[in-house]
Amino acid sequence: MLTVEICMGTSCHLMGAQELMDVLEALPDDQRQQIEIKGITCFKKCGKGPNIRINGEMLDNATPDRLREILLTILQ
Amino acid sequence: MPEINEITKIRRKVLTEISQMTFDGRLDTDVENILTSVVTDDGPRYRCCVHKERAVLQDRIKSALSQPMSSTMTEAAIAALDGVISASPIIQVLPVACDQCPLDRFIVTDACRNCLAHSCIASCPKKAISVVANRSFIDKTKCVECGLCKRSCPYGAIIEISRPCERACELGAIAADKARKAVIDYDKCVHCGACKMACPFGAISDRSMIVQVIQQIKAGRSVYALLAPAFIGQFGVQVRPGQVLSSLRKVGFRDALEVSVGADAVAVEEAHEFIERNQTPGAFMTTSCCPAFVGMVEKHLPTMKANISSLVSPMVAAAMDVKKNDPEGIVVFVGPCIAKKSEAERYPGIVDYVLTFEELATMIVGAGVNVTEADAGAFESAGSKDGNIFARAGGVLQAVENVLSQLAPEISVQAERCEGLGNCKKIMQEIEAGKRAANFFEGMACTGGCVGGPGALTDSRVTTRLVENFAGSSPEKSAVTNPKSEEIIKLGLHRPHESHNESKQD
Repeated sequence: MLTVEICMGTSCHLMGAQELMDVLEALPDDQRQQIEIKGITCFKKCGKGPNIRINGEMLDNATPDRLREILLTILQ
Repeated sequence: MPEINEITKIRRKVLTEISQMTFDGRLDTDVENILTSVVTDDGPRYRCCVHKERAVLQDRIKSALSQPMSSTMTEAAIAALDGVISASPIIQVLPVACDQCPLDRFIVTDACRNCLAHSCIASCPKKAISVVANRSFIDKTKCVECGLCKRSCPYGAIIEISRPCERACELGAIAADKARKAVIDYDKCVHCGACKMACPFGAISDRSMIVQVIQQIKAGRSVYALLAPAFIGQFGVQVRPGQVLSSLRKVGFRDALEVSVGADAVAVEEAHEFIERNQTPGAFMTTSCCPAFVGMVEKHLPTMKANISSLVSPMVAAAMDVKKNDPEGIVVFVGPCIAKKSEAERYPGIVDYVLTFEELATMIVGAGVNVTEADAGAFESAGSKDGNIFARAGGVLQAVENVLSQLAPEISVQAERCEGLGNCKKIMQEIEAGKRAANFFEGMACTGGCVGGPGALTDSRVTTRLVENFAGSSPEKSAVTNPKSEEIIKLGLHRPHESHNESKQD
């Protein structure tokens, strides 16, 4: 099981957090079921957003492409 | 909603830093720091060099401060802190940022086969086409960009390219000058923001009043945020309306009120006006709530100006209500719309400032407030279902029809509605020419209605759904029975006569 925590705070929201959430929601069922998504209100790293944490590892300035890339590497 | 690309991120970072510095009281001394914190020495680079990027950024900052491009950064910061808003246009091309897109309008592609027919050469009225290196060649010094060659080629080998800003403007209000810089024709522009959203260099910007608003809050004035009905879900899909309210109080607003109550009043009055107009055979009336649509009719279809409903917009109606209850209060309209900034200038002393949802969110972040961490008290809409659905395309029409079905069920409404200024203009012309029968028209400049505005933060399809749910949850089911709308109607909601005839220049 993979844990993906996405910051949904206002600062990260402005930098595109919802687009990252959309990437996760759009995954095919078999991949989606391997992921537990958690919405976080703040990682205290505002200014470097959007911030996400994948299995404990922080990723700042996250983009949908970068997230997709990482997920594919881990899930395969 | 703008795509969240690098342009959007840079714009939001600039606004956030400006807000933060203004709240901290260090904008006048620190404004130059934004140049190095947003454009860092180690990149990434989008322009030729770091110097060009910082020069562009200076223009962006001055636009964000509502100051002229000719002032220095510090002068601009000080003037904004003093509450000055320059008389410059709401939307402008940032001089350094425009990349002078070096586009030749018609280009011969590899698909050209140097065929025997040479339809292109035959079609060209200026003899600008010849065969060079086994392919058609357009001599740019002779070409008048008529497009006949493109249409004549049996292979479709000649393509037409246009600048993104020009293509986005459905009113032909932006074009390149001799130096290939984009220039806005303000006699045609209605401040819809389409060019701003389209430019891949972020070279078109609307000016912001965030600093001026923050200064009013810091001065201890009673500042009211008037939230457009599209506010649902803008600060996060999961965010509850009550959290927005408590966040705005934390930022320092005296209160946050819903424009949907003004929309209720407008729906009722618009229905009354429709009934009255409908006594004349052939009467035709349009909505008046979308300022870009109203501007389009005023500037591009002047013969139809009298067909626009005589009512003020829900923004103005709600603002009048605030001013009645607190004459010293400062009214800040917050919505997805850039054109509202222009509309507000017609109502000095009623709507004091206009912010987009994007600008308000940067202000919230600048104040160190996080909406997702705010308390969500109980929140019920003060507006009825009718007023709340103004936020999405078709909603105004539906609200007025709902009111009419109660006030005058015998009247038949033959309605048309349109999204997009080009579409609106076309359909209105057909109605004027008698090619299309209609007695009522809803005009929306943005696709999807207000929820699709350039200042929105959430995808319009999502917002439409959230608005619909929120509208359904309102305790007031109809604009007619909402006691609040009755109160607002008493304030007199007809537009001042001069604003009918005035074609505002900026």
